[in-house]
Amino acid sequence: MADAGALAVPRPAVSEPAPAVSNTRLAMIIVIAAESMLFAGLIGTYLVFRLAAHDWPPPDQPRLPLAMTAVNTLVLLGSTLSMTRALRAVRRGDRVTLVRAATLTTILGVLFLVVQGTEWVRLVQHGLTLGSSMYGANFYVLIGCHGAHVLIAVTWLAITTALARRGAFRATRHAALEMCALYWYFVCGLWLVLFPLVYLY
Amino acid sequence: MTRIRTSLVRLAVVATALAGQAGTALAQSCAMCSSSFGQNDPVQRAFSWSILFLMAAPYTIVGVVGGYLFYTYRRGPRRDRASIIDLAGRARRLRRFVRARPTEGDIA
Repeated sequence: MADAGALAVPRPAVSEPAPAVSNTRLAMIIVIAAESMLFAGLIGTYLVFRLAAHDWPPPDQPRLPLAMTAVNTLVLLGSTLSMTRALRAVRRGDRVTLVRAATLTTILGVLFLVVQGTEWVRLVQHGLTLGSSMYGANFYVLIGCHGAHVLIAVTWLAITTALARRGAFRATRHAALEMCALYWYFVCGLWLVLFPLVYLY
Repeated sequence: MTRIRTSLVRLAVVATALAGQAGTALAQSCAMCSSSFGQNDPVQRAFSWSILFLMAAPYTIVGVVGGYLFYTYRRGPRRDRASIIDLAGRARRLRRFVRARPTEGDIA
């Protein structure tokens, strides 16, 4: 039987410095790039129908609730500020602020989803459905896809907040929170593209 | 030498002629759109803008990610600034390396 020690790969005497971009962050960047392409395809579809239409929205379809969605946009923007606060808190080891800021971010995310859901119920009651027109189909697919991503991000945020409450993150070890924040920033940034495109244009 | 010059002139004439043809083709969008719709059809315009957008999207995404990675690595540990070609720094490091390296006579 061969000696196990002889087969073992010798470890380098000097540890190599950590890469500038960690593997976790690189993986998250790839996920976000792929998601961006998904939304680029959906936006491309929306642009075809929007630019080709003579009347947009069609005269027999209800108008989108602009004021409420604008307030909802501010809610989402506020959540990015609290997320930044949580990141800064974990970097300096402030657990209390971290838990507070992460909880606030989760609450704001849930609030965004609740308001979106309420709007959708009202729109369906007024006759804007997935099959009512291309306008409705585009709206629900594009905004719905974003809503699904916000739901995933909020679930992730809730889990991360629970971990933060248990003290799982340290100033030197908090990759899970960083990745969650990265995804949250992506979801919020995406809304800043979708809101003017769908509601204002 | 004269032959090369003549060939170059011919090549330039052919390239100019081809570029002129391409200029005419650029006025249309893709073959499907231009044949399916009229000249000023809004659907054709919509397809053209959408195609342009979808064409630009991957380049933009890859460019942004590539730029981020490039500058992050340039600003990584043991790097003072994100200069693209740090000639002065390289010359300094080379001088330091040459001074520290033992000469052949030292080995013996």
